[in-house]
Amino acid sequence: MNQVWNIFRKDARHHWPEILVSLAILVAFAWVEIRSWGHFDPTLDLTFVFARFLPGLVNVLVPLSWIFLIVRVVQGETLVGDRQFWVTRPYDWKVLLAAKALFVLAFIHLPLFLMDAFLLSRAGFHPENYVVGLLWMQLMWIPTLFLFAFALAAIAKNLPQMLVVVLFVVLYIIGLVAISQVVPDSDYSPGSDWWMPVLLDGTAIVVLFLQYSRRRTGISRWLVAAALLTFGLIVTFLPYRSLILRAYPVLPSALPGEFTLLPPNNNEGTYLDEGEDVSIRLPLSLSQLPKDAFVELNGMIATLTNASGFRWDSGWKGQYLSFYPDQKSAELSFEVKHPLFDKLKSFPVSLRLLLALTTYHDKNQREFVVPKGKFSLPDVGICSADQRGYWYSIRCQAPLRTPKFLLITSEMAASTCLSKKEIAPIPGLLSHGSVRGGDSDPAEMGISPIHQVDIYLSGWDVPGTHIQNPGICPGTPLTLSNPQAIGHSRVELQFDNLSLTDYQKGGGRIVIR
Amino acid sequence: MTSTIQTDTLVKRFRKVDALQGLTLNVPEGAVYALVGPNGAGKTTAIKILMNIIRATSGRAEVLGIDSSRLRGHLLAPIGYVSENQEMPEWMTVSALLNYLRPFYSTWDTNLEAELVKQFDLPPKRKLRHLSRGMKMKAALASSLAYHPKLIVLDEPFTGLDPLVRDELIQGLLDRAEESTIFVSSHDLAEIETFASHVAYLEEGKLRFAEELTTLANRFREVELTFDTPPTLPQQPPKNWLQLNAAAAVVRFTESLFDPERTAAEIRTAFGEPRNITFSPMSLRSIFLAMAKSGRDSA
Repeated sequence: MNQVWNIFRKDARHHWPEILVSLAILVAFAWVEIRSWGHFDPTLDLTFVFARFLPGLVNVLVPLSWIFLIVRVVQGETLVGDRQFWVTRPYDWKVLLAAKALFVLAFIHLPLFLMDAFLLSRAGFHPENYVVGLLWMQLMWIPTLFLFAFALAAIAKNLPQMLVVVLFVVLYIIGLVAISQVVPDSDYSPGSDWWMPVLLDGTAIVVLFLQYSRRRTGISRWLVAAALLTFGLIVTFLPYRSLILRAYPVLPSALPGEFTLLPPNNNEGTYLDEGEDVSIRLPLSLSQLPKDAFVELNGMIATLTNASGFRWDSGWKGQYLSFYPDQKSAELSFEVKHPLFDKLKSFPVSLRLLLALTTYHDKNQREFVVPKGKFSLPDVGICSADQRGYWYSIRCQAPLRTPKFLLITSEMAASTCLSKKEIAPIPGLLSHGSVRGGDSDPAEMGISPIHQVDIYLSGWDVPGTHIQNPGICPGTPLTLSNPQAIGHSRVELQFDNLSLTDYQKGGGRIVIR
Repeated sequence: MTSTIQTDTLVKRFRKVDALQGLTLNVPEGAVYALVGPNGAGKTTAIKILMNIIRATSGRAEVLGIDSSRLRGHLLAPIGYVSENQEMPEWMTVSALLNYLRPFYSTWDTNLEAELVKQFDLPPKRKLRHLSRGMKMKAALASSLAYHPKLIVLDEPFTGLDPLVRDELIQGLLDRAEESTIFVSSHDLAEIETFASHVAYLEEGKLRFAEELTTLANRFREVELTFDTPPTLPQQPPKNWLQLNAAAAVVRFTESLFDPERTAAEIRTAFGEPRNITFSPMSLRSIFLAMAKSGRDSA
């Protein structure tokens, strides 16, 4: 422990300028974060800068300053090369690693923890109630950033070498994104990402072990290269389609309704698409849904065939549509290239849709009337209902994480915003809004523990109509519920004799006929 | 006598270059052992393997009875290592360096530390980056002597230093020679001659010889023979005669296995009775030059 402390003190003394810069950036983050909670009017430049530009900037600067700090402290006892004075001194590698970890704990984790507690307090929450979540947030940074920064710093001799490594990683990511664009079905891959942290974090841990215990830089660099290559190969050759089909089995009983393709939505049909892609929009309705259930479309494959036997497949595409019992239709879309569209548009085609669906049971329904001013929205956080731009919505500060899944249902006629927007009420018309976080972890990863959640109601998609949603104002009654996923399933729909031009929607350059 | 360093057919290959070709050494405890040889002979490579800074391609080395490939952590505590091209924490002051290193060594002697700082005239408040090369070496040496190491390993410590600083460093070393084994590499023979007890000569990765300096000095003599008329040089002189040459009635050579009676007998066998025989002791530098030249000639 004495040696850990000795090395730690030396590092703290040596790297105090970097520490100060990092702390200053963190303070700036807190300052900007608190200001970003306020109301902003997008028409006012200054508040817009606070609300949009600065948070984005400090959100990037904070992790960058941490990476810089980690690189500097790791390379204080550089592990690459054979001239460092310390390699012939009685350093125990575990002690050295522990000292570096202590440095990260003291000058990254601790300030972040304190800032997060302060932000919670400023947002009106009691930090002592969120200690586990705050610790979880700290923990999340280790496998997602710190381990990689540590490992890469350990295989680079100095800052210029580290910059080369970072440049290489950036180019690699760009290449990977470019590859994934052309890999069929990779657009949507449910539950197949577990191997990523295993491969990357596993490699980082092995590299750190090898470098600190043996200083095997050559092997370590090869390991990193091999891991990145493996990652790329898996991303390219993962059998996405099989994985999706396995995740969404054919279960006739799992879908409590029946899909119908509605006539084309002609109210937007006055567009002529001259862009590169043609967007095909298919209004679907799901009838016979029980009152307490709804269905979410997660992904789809569209297959087009014509009479001459030509066949085209879109591959799995992610879709984010919900079908509620009261909903008349929802429009799913896919894109086809212009030449293909031109080839298919003149004759009827058959369309086969393979839909990946999740069915939800709408649980824990309760009524809630939006109060004036600040109020506590159960399961979400501290909220207020205000006008933001042209929307009347609820904005909340949620501690540690956005709710797992909160569904808001509102009847149009009951909205207290009607008079403000001079909209005529339509009795019985419901609209929905939802808030959802990723998983059930105690906290979401991030720098700030406060998650800004905007709850707004979606518009209505009634064929042949344009109905403006009045929004949520103080006094508007809402029905809150916590949907619970019942199961995943897939359905196959077949539609014959379709004219694609009927379902075409403008994209790219729009010319009004 | 027990060995502080022992190597057995140590080989180090860098891609296609054989830096060490089967080095076998034995450094006895308490010796001041000089590993000499020209630049690129493999001295630094050998030392780096001994210190476990790099790994040998094959062969084996033991330092203080420990396999050198296992030498790390606390096993390095009884060893002091100073190298001419060592990267020191330049941002530290001399006193910060000593303060920092002190807790790493249970045998650190603060009195000795103060003595070394005084002896080497080190400025405690000055950062290492602001020290001259000689002062930096002194600081490195002080930080490697203050804990009474059993073994002091020095890689070309005197290169580029002015004679005064070099003498101060050598004196600092010699003051601790009784309690330590000193293993020092150098390409400057004159500086080694003044204090080494043993010497090993490395050339192109191969050990040419290794022995005690007194033995070496005793077995080498510059021999000058004077005849009345120019003699005929023998077709096959003894192998221990190096650089045999004649100028008029004078013959000169280097005897590498000097023994007054045997050498005289060999001379008589080769030349008959010369008018005069002179045996002159040789400096280490002359011995190495003779060996290097004869090696080149025979090659």
